Amino acid sequence: MADRIDAEPAYILHTYPWKETSLIVEAFTAHHGRVSLVARGARRAHSALKAKLLAFQPLWLSWFGKGGLKTLHAAEWQGGALHLSGRALMCGFYISELILKLLPPDDPHEALYRRYEETLAELSAADPQPVLRRFELDLLSELGYAQTLDQTAAGTPVEAGGRYAYTLGVGVSPAAPDAPVYAGGSLLAMAARDFSDPRTLAEAKQLMRALINHYLGDKPLHTRQLLLDLQAL
Amino acid sequence: MMHPPALAALIDALHALPGVGPKSAARMAYHLLQRDRTGAGRLAASLTAALERLHPCERCNNFSETPVCELCANPRRDPRLLAVVEMPVDLNRLEETHAYPGLYFVLMGRLSPLDGVGPRQIGLDRLLKRAQDGVTEEVILATNFTVEGEATAHYVGELLKARGLAVTRMARGVPAGGELEYVDGLTIAQAYADRRPL
Repeated sequence: MADRIDAEPAYILHTYPWKETSLIVEAFTAHHGRVSLVARGARRAHSALKAKLLAFQPLWLSWFGKGGLKTLHAAEWQGGALHLSGRALMCGFYISELILKLLPPDDPHEALYRRYEETLAELSAADPQPVLRRFELDLLSELGYAQTLDQTAAGTPVEAGGRYAYTLGVGVSPAAPDAPVYAGGSLLAMAARDFSDPRTLAEAKQLMRALINHYLGDKPLHTRQLLLDLQAL
Repeated sequence: MMHPPALAALIDALHALPGVGPKSAARMAYHLLQRDRTGAGRLAASLTAALERLHPCERCNNFSETPVCELCANPRRDPRLLAVVEMPVDLNRLEETHAYPGLYFVLMGRLSPLDGVGPRQIGLDRLLKRAQDGVTEEVILATNFTVEGEATAHYVGELLKARGLAVTRMARGVPAGGELEYVDGLTIAQAYADRRPL
């Protein structure tokens, strides 16, 4: 891997304080996947870098160094996009948390980067639910965590009128008494990334949640908890 | 390196301060013990007194020695206006301007979704009660213009609007005396988006 990367398209997923005046920046980049960078001195009062390290903004990041933690030396705003606000902002935190917790570092995922970028733009649309389900499914598929949904694990095509179960790590299997049931039509629609039917959307939410919880293991998903807490107020 | 237990405990305690790493903490500890023992005594006494006497003001949540702080008790402040800020330093900055006549609520934090800081960790339920005192007419959201500050403003705003209060957000844009030539692009883009009719 090259020691020096210049003007790499990237989004900031999260930042947190490091040592006395620095910041660790978790970024999702177009060609290098998720990287951890140190922004030295970015927490000083008049740091020019700090104001540019905003999440959900298309940036060009330049860094050097090998191994786990690299040194960020420049950040430039690409221009164009505006701040996410309101509910779209909360959904943005959610997809960033998914990337942070599910994507291994330093592993390039160019298609997923493009999907992240598209998803941020689509989140301001009227209903974010279909947008989120599609992103979750694309993320899980890219990571090899979601099996094909239009074929059963045994290799037979899923039939629209059929009833199925989904077995983790195996795929679509015959409906079983103690497992959640998915309609064949919903699975086919998910495979085609068509979430226009409310039933597909509801079943997709159930399936994605089961898969995400399984692959997160015991790592909590803070953004999901936050939304629940806020609804309770 | 082994320190005597009392010194190790002091270094450890100073290390708890934001922006103070183990090296600075050791430097501070040696300075206090070697060069400024009176200062160290004053620090210890004032820290104990502050911990004992300061409590959150019942109205604004800022630190106060009385149940209701001086600012909240001031009859010349306009009780119809309530500004919501993240930290006491933000309140102080607003006060220094002498431009704001109303009262405050200090959240003592912000929602930070990715760090697991939710409404229960900051005083959101207390703010909801405070804002519904029947006198407050307008709530001014003066949280920071970071993504976390925006998330906080959005949620506080939604919760208060649902309870029939008028909610406004501090404006953002080109700073006073700012020349477009030297202002960063994102600020200019936001100023354009938030433009208002003349």
